[in-house]
Amino acid sequence: MRFPLVAEVLDEQLVDVHDVKAGRIDGIVLEVRDGKPAKLAYVEVSPITMLSRFSRRFARWYATRIDRRLGPGRGVPFRIPWTRLAREGTSLRVDLDVRSTPIMALEDWLDEHILSHIPGA
Amino acid sequence: MKKPFEVALGVVTSVGGFLEIGSITTAAQAGASFGYQLIWSVVLGTILIAFLVEMSGRFAAVSKHTIPDAMRERFGVNFFAIVLVIMFGVSLLTLGAELGGVAAALELATGISIPIWAIPVTFFSWALLWKTTFSVIENGVSMLGLVTVSFAVAAVKLHPDYAAAAHGLIPTLPKQDAAHYWFIAVSVLGASVSPYLYYFYSSGAIEEKWDESYVAINRLIAAVGMSFGGGLSLAVLVAAARVFHPANIEVQKYQQLPQLLSTPLGHAGFWLFVAALGIACLGATLEISLALAYLVAQGFGWNWGKDQRPSADARFSLTYSLIVAVAGLLSLVGLDPLQLTEIAMALTSASLPVGVLPFLILMNDREYLGEHTNGHIGNAVVMGVSVLAMIVAVVAIPLEIIGS
Repeated sequence: MRFPLVAEVLDEQLVDVHDVKAGRIDGIVLEVRDGKPAKLAYVEVSPITMLSRFSRRFARWYATRIDRRLGPGRGVPFRIPWTRLAREGTSLRVDLDVRSTPIMALEDWLDEHILSHIPGA
Repeated sequence: MKKPFEVALGVVTSVGGFLEIGSITTAAQAGASFGYQLIWSVVLGTILIAFLVEMSGRFAAVSKHTIPDAMRERFGVNFFAIVLVIMFGVSLLTLGAELGGVAAALELATGISIPIWAIPVTFFSWALLWKTTFSVIENGVSMLGLVTVSFAVAAVKLHPDYAAAAHGLIPTLPKQDAAHYWFIAVSVLGASVSPYLYYFYSSGAIEEKWDESYVAINRLIAAVGMSFGGGLSLAVLVAAARVFHPANIEVQKYQQLPQLLSTPLGHAGFWLFVAALGIACLGATLEISLALAYLVAQGFGWNWGKDQRPSADARFSLTYSLIVAVAGLLSLVGLDPLQLTEIAMALTSASLPVGVLPFLILMNDREYLGEHTNGHIGNAVVMGVSVLAMIVAVVAIPLEIIGS
């Protein structure tokens, strides 16, 4: 089966098992193997990967100065094995609970540190 | 029974939500400076926004994508970033003007100056966004916005020369002050076709879970709603052409604007104007803030939705909060809402193709729309008018700045 990666995977919306929007696919990682065809290994969902598509230097700065401080697992791009994804309607579905991954670290941080102090949130 | 109600509601909200500080001031300036001569620009702007709104509703109903969502997916993050930055800049200026419009209405009512109103107005707008649902914002404020129908009553009571007004439907070159004429013409266009309008509309269609069965309803709402809405802009222009133009008065301050209604309707007209300006600008404030937050959230794939508690979408809720706060600062530092509006509307015109052209590419993509892709007429009208508007704006803006 042919699968156009840039047209149908890169920048696509990702949803998790609970229908939570889990960000967009910011990068694709191929595994190059000796004597064998390259294999699609992971997709990356991370502002670091997204920023590196504009400037690698800025992405490195963002990773060490900001992203790393958002919690465990942050500071490096979050990778999802390709085998855990399936096409579903207009999105790609990942078979994990995104709330338990570093993808939602910023959402959780904002909720805990800012929103919890605002009435009606 | 449900769908006729939805059509009626859609039309009413389109009419009630059409006028805002941009369309009121630019139409008033057009009528004051050039009489009926610029009527064509209001009509052209209305046709363009009717096409764009129809397209964005059809796109959401058929593809189940909002426009920013598909734009990131189809063109990648690098191109999306360009659209995001330009639309954000222009829409923030417009938002500042709308917040200023609410504050200006309160200043007219109380005599207390705009910068003092800036903080309460910003806070009130934010609180409405924070506490209410999408339908309250869209339907509630637009229903109240029906007070803008008083412009139509005023225009009729001022006994316009209908034959002369009909001549204004055909574009003609001005006898004098050409730079100002074209500047006002593109500002009127910019006020009618602000991109936040049709971006917001596509998000609304997704929030209300439209499917292909809504394609015909959507067409009706866009055609009827935008025609009536555009009719109100025309009424403002006609009223200004009767009130200001014969006396050679240009509209340079928003304090002049209540005369549009107080001349034909007396003291009640003044208060109707205050209510119309305040409500219309408040509605636009809420819509622009949400439209920009949608743009960011959909582009980056976050959760978004106005019908959930803010804590369910922390990033989305804080994005619109920050946007309202930044726009509020523009009023707080004492920027004149009229000048801010003029700049914002002209820049909107200058940047029209940035939002419109990639949208047109999406509207012709069978992957998204199947058999519902655009026809030739829709493509030609939207592309032709937006590129022309950009060219005229790029020439007219510097000339207007030099001239003034």
